[in-house]
Amino acid sequence: MSPMLIIAKREFRAYFDSPLAYVVICLSFLALGLLYFMWGGGFWQIDRATVSRLFEYTPMGLSFLIVPVVTMRLIAEERRSGTLEMLITLPVKDSDVVLGKYFGALGLVLVFVLATLAYPIAMFKWPWNLGPLDAGPVTSGYFGLILFSAASVAVGLLISALTESQAVAFFITFFVLGALWLLGDLATKAGGTAGVVLSYISFQSRLNGFWRGLVDTRDVVFFLSVTGLALVVAFRALERRKWA
Amino acid sequence: MATDVMIQASGLSKRFGVVRALDKVNFEVKRGEVVGFLGPNGAGKSTTMRILTCFISPTNGSAKVNGNDVFDSPLEVRRSLGYLPQRAPLYTDMTVWDYLKFAAEIRGLDDATFKKRLKKVVEVCGLAQSLGKDISTLSHGYRQRVGLGQALIHDPPILILDEPTSDLDPNEKAEVLRYIKEIGKDRTILLSTHNLAEVEESCARAIIVSKGRVVADGPLDEIRGKTGRVRYVVSIDETRAEAGNKAPGVKEVQDALERLSGVKSVRELPTDEKAHKFELIGAQDSDLRAEIFRLMVAKGWTLLELRRDAQSLDAVFRDLTRGDEKLDRGAGWAAEDEDEDDDEGEDEKATAKSGSASDEDDDEDEDDDEDEDDDEDEDDDEDAADNAKSKGKG
Repeated sequence: MSPMLIIAKREFRAYFDSPLAYVVICLSFLALGLLYFMWGGGFWQIDRATVSRLFEYTPMGLSFLIVPVVTMRLIAEERRSGTLEMLITLPVKDSDVVLGKYFGALGLVLVFVLATLAYPIAMFKWPWNLGPLDAGPVTSGYFGLILFSAASVAVGLLISALTESQAVAFFITFFVLGALWLLGDLATKAGGTAGVVLSYISFQSRLNGFWRGLVDTRDVVFFLSVTGLALVVAFRALERRKWA
Repeated sequence: MATDVMIQASGLSKRFGVVRALDKVNFEVKRGEVVGFLGPNGAGKSTTMRILTCFISPTNGSAKVNGNDVFDSPLEVRRSLGYLPQRAPLYTDMTVWDYLKFAAEIRGLDDATFKKRLKKVVEVCGLAQSLGKDISTLSHGYRQRVGLGQALIHDPPILILDEPTSDLDPNEKAEVLRYIKEIGKDRTILLSTHNLAEVEESCARAIIVSKGRVVADGPLDEIRGKTGRVRYVVSIDETRAEAGNKAPGVKEVQDALERLSGVKSVRELPTDEKAHKFELIGAQDSDLRAEIFRLMVAKGWTLLELRRDAQSLDAVFRDLTRGDEKLDRGAGWAAEDEDEDDDEGEDEKATAKSGSASDEDDDEDEDDDEDEDDDEDEDDDEDAADNAKSKGKG
């Protein structure tokens, strides 16, 4: 097994060795359930058996809570406690460390994302059957969610690599991902050139197509580019210790 | 390997902003050597070790470990060494077994080798009882052992240990030192510490650094001889004297001792006994004991103790590094400090050694105290505010 995978495995397991993973996933599920069925008139008021609301609320939960909580400790905590020195002086490349941590955290986030599959399954397959499930948009919606998670976790990792404090990492990630999400709302209000620019960088407007069943190459490339860029910068931030 | 030089540092310099942490450090460590890397806190010991393990890069100069350059082939360098950073930072959420397994996996040990090595490491580090425990539940001493365990798991030819015995109790220390001596037979070990007794116990050679420079490098005996002084301790009964002579006063004794030829300085030492206790400093190659004895006979004083120390490593260490300490503490305070240090160093070697360690502890404590004071002040303020509130209500 490559060092990168070993680090990812350790990272992923570490979430389940602490209460963090359970608390975050359980509470997020509870919150998602409440949002989904009660919020904004609730599921029963809109008179449509649809899971599109799921794709509206899940990324918000990810941006505002799950990704910041999951990524805040990745590098910040290791730096503070000194374990980073122990880890990096093992025969691993810096890129192994960054990617290992990235995939470990992404793994946990994807566990949550894929667990939300319970909603469409419960409503449209078993135990309830509200009608035939429109598989297309659900598939593309999940594809979008996975891309979105990949980009968000990379941004979270980058911010964690820049600080020694988990709390600071949490709030900055919360703020940055929150802003990237809310820019979408702002874009609709702003209109004009500003609106175009804002919707260009907003995670929300980028994700909109997916849950309507539209997989736009530009959106895919956007999320992948954000992921790649954030990881490269995180790698540089980690390397900076050598010279600082 | 064509060469026997396992660790080679040439012209290593490291700057952190304006602070020069290392200044053209040169040294070599050969195969099978156990070298003590000594220096006061902040002298650059850890920085050097971090450069050697490729955790940070030097600003200038180069280093080779096992023939591999730390710049060009960091992975090869790290493969050939086991490293225990200061205070053994470990993943506290893992069990000891998981942690050792993790280190072994990253180092590419297969299961069979891991099991074999684990057995050895557990035996050596005394981890049999704690393999299944969470690291977060372990004491510092045990964490240190786990850290040592992970450094040894792949049986490396080179070990770099940053203060491996800090946080250990005396028994554990002795055990670790015994082990270092044992594995040092066929390995190269660079071990940093500010505890000089450890170096005297486990190393044949020491490198002393201060303020980022190497101030001494060589076999322990050579370093001891470096400052060229010999120390004598003399105690004289203050209550009575021999053959009808009257008991001597402090001043009288001191003057007499100072008049002896070959004596560079005389200083009174504190003592519990009813005696005058003095420390004499003589030149390296002289022997004043006969002179002192004759003086006692001539005066009829009762000699309770006469002892000659070749200078202890501890004193050399302080001689070599104190100037820098003075700078750190501000010139005005230097004289005061000197007295304190010397008093601690007088009695037994052992106390002197713990003294040098406790010096730094003292500093920390002082800082802590200040913090606490601040907290208390805040509390007071709060209390005052509360009182004011309650008065207002009343």
